[in-house]
Amino acid sequence: MADDINPGYQYPFDMPSEEAVAFKDGAMEGKPAGVPASYDEGGSTRWSPEAISEVHALAQLGRYQVRGYNSFNKQLPTFDDLTFVPATMTRLPLEGYRENCETKTILGGGSGLVENPLELDIPIYIGSMSFGALSASAKAALGYGASKVGSMTCTGEGGMLEDEREASDTLVYQMTPSRYMLDLDHLRRADGIEIAVGQGAKPGTGGLLLGMKVSKRVADMRSLPEGVDQRSTVRHPDFLGADDMQVKVEELRLATDYKVPIIVKMGATRPRYDVAIAAKAGADIVVVDGAEGGTGASPELLLNHTGIPIMTAIRAAREALDDCGMSGKVSLVAAGGIRSGVDAAKCLALGADAVMIGNAAMMALGCNTPRYAEDYATLGTSPGACHHCHTGLCPVGIATQDAELEKRMDVAAGAERVARYLTAMTMEVSLLAKSCGKSTVHNLEVEDLRALSLEASAFAGVKLAGIDREFSW
Amino acid sequence: MSETVITVGDRHIREVHREIQAAAEQGGHIVLKDARSRHNLGVALPAGANLHFEGSVGYYCGGLNNGATITVERNAGWGVGEAMASGDITVGGYAGMSCGASMLGGVVHVKGDAGPRCGVAMKGGDIIVEGKIGYLSGFMAHAGRIIALGGADDACADSLWGGEVWVAGPIKSLGVDSKAIEPRPDEVASIEELLRSRGINDASRDWKKIVSGEKLWHFESRDANAWLMI
Ligand SMILES: Cc1cc2nc3c(=O)[nH]c(=O)nc-3n(C[C@H](O)[C@H](O)[C@H](O)COP(=O)(O)O)c2cc1C
Ligand code: SF4
Repeated sequence: MADDINPGYQYPFDMPSEEAVAFKDGAMEGKPAGVPASYDEGGSTRWSPEAISEVHALAQLGRYQVRGYNSFNKQLPTFDDLTFVPATMTRLPLEGYRENCETKTILGGGSGLVENPLELDIPIYIGSMSFGALSASAKAALGYGASKVGSMTCTGEGGMLEDEREASDTLVYQMTPSRYMLDLDHLRRADGIEIAVGQGAKPGTGGLLLGMKVSKRVADMRSLPEGVDQRSTVRHPDFLGADDMQVKVEELRLATDYKVPIIVKMGATRPRYDVAIAAKAGADIVVVDGAEGGTGASPELLLNHTGIPIMTAIRAAREALDDCGMSGKVSLVAAGGIRSGVDAAKCLALGADAVMIGNAAMMALGCNTPRYAEDYATLGTSPGACHHCHTGLCPVGIATQDAELEKRMDVAAGAERVARYLTAMTMEVSLLAKSCGKSTVHNLEVEDLRALSLEASAFAGVKLAGIDREFSW
Repeated sequence: MSETVITVGDRHIREVHREIQAAAEQGGHIVLKDARSRHNLGVALPAGANLHFEGSVGYYCGGLNNGATITVERNAGWGVGEAMASGDITVGGYAGMSCGASMLGGVVHVKGDAGPRCGVAMKGGDIIVEGKIGYLSGFMAHAGRIIALGGADDACADSLWGGEVWVAGPIKSLGVDSKAIEPRPDEVASIEELLRSRGINDASRDWKKIVSGEKLWHFESRDANAWLMI
């Protein structure tokens, strides 16, 4: 408990037992207070089982809740609020099985400064997920799977894992504020360098890895004592504002001899300004991660109540780049809640040059698969509902550092599933692109979309279906 | 030993950087003139390189150092020696904010004062400051030693994970979750030995050794079951 809020205070009675604090008196069998599943749905729209259990949980714990996965906020618009309007009379479609649609994606080549921009065969890659949050086997499987289809992976926080460097033909090295293991040798082994400013799941806060996952190997890579609850800084140690970041970008370019692109990754909050500033600071690629974005562990309130949806962030980011003449010079990558090639295609149409996935790639590996049922039950969850990455007790060996659990993550099978999933996603993107008459997936545009809800129309500036006008004020 | 002279002036930093790297390849002593407090001078240098900057330098001098020896005649801006893996950097005057940030090894030696957040996130090596270290020095450092002969400003050694902050002279205040402990004589001897090896002969001081209080290592609740309640 946060006993330091008012350190001197003493109750005029003894501290109650933890049992008593945890509502154990008269407790119903199998219904722990503070867990939404223990409550029935009542008549109040405000006091849902979740809201009631949240109060009971906070009252027991004296701290906010932490969990992995992604936002449970039910108000976020989904990509399903958008539909494609393929070529009919005004446009000509491409032959789905005969004509080619280019999927090659080059990121970071626009400024002309970078010797080796990122050249991907597909417009989809696997985002920064730390070794620590994920097991080494999961990282390796993602790497091999991405390599097989000409895509790439990113290290995430926590340094460069040798297993991943070996597996990934193209690997982006993430520089987080905690700078774990960051030195010249590692920078020079990267194919791109990502400066982490924030992420969609928890903008404005730093990394979080609970002690259950800080194994010896993780701790050594991060120069941490084993088993600590690692909470990382959010501000970088040696720069503050955008002007300083510009100097930092220059340093990274010099250190890598202008060979690899510099990426700035941010959570979507004020993309219209933030993206323009990142471009000004010299980024070759800006990654915008929406409020839907996944995480290994985050205070739950940040997951559910911070950031803006990616569909609106992409439009704002693209407009920002257009406004300052940086479209074409700076690449834009979108992430957050992308589940399929359909979602990815919508992001491209809204203005992204590529998309990045996290949770979806974990699912291809086996996250939330119906196996090892008893281990989901131990976590108080079940396949399809699991969001317990923060515990390190992942039933399928993906989000864990436990050697026994990790054995369930078969690297070869996982790699192949990731490769097939990325292939299928890419086929979905190009099928949609061809139906819209595009010879490259990068020609998808906002005009190819219509909105099925007022919200989506207003958020994303997409014309409402049928009436063909954007919702406007 | 051969000596190469490079004039920094207002040329593009990339051109200057290439000349420095090429000269470092050749070996020998490199003297940089007219440094104009430019940023990113002498970054990413290889082992064996030996540089001297006349005047002052800007941000990240000696950043990402991989074993070079660097001396700066006067002052250094932010992040001198940041992310250095190994090497030896001496600043003749003052060092700005975040001196030795996240460095992994080697030595940064500042003859004057160092600004705030000296040794922030550092993971190894030694930072020696003959003057005072600024507020929040050692913030969330992991390992290594910060040794200040002239006292420390507010929030000294705030939120240390590990490592040691040695201070002689007044400490304005200790940071969150840090504690000053009485050093053992053999530890003091090793510090003073290090200082003597850097030419500081009157190294004997009334040292305070500050280490992590280890309270922030864990969230308040260590009961793993508590994490399942969601
Ligand atoms: C298990 C896991 C670990 C993550 N670790 C990091 C990290 O270390 N650094 C970072 O910037 N983002 C991290 N992220 C966020 C991802 O890079 C990405 O932005 C996000 O997963 C995209 O959203 P999606 O999961 O809905 O596809 C992590 C996400 C997950 C699911
Ligand atoms: S199955 Fe594993 S990776 Fe998936 S949500 Fe549960 S703990 Fe996380």
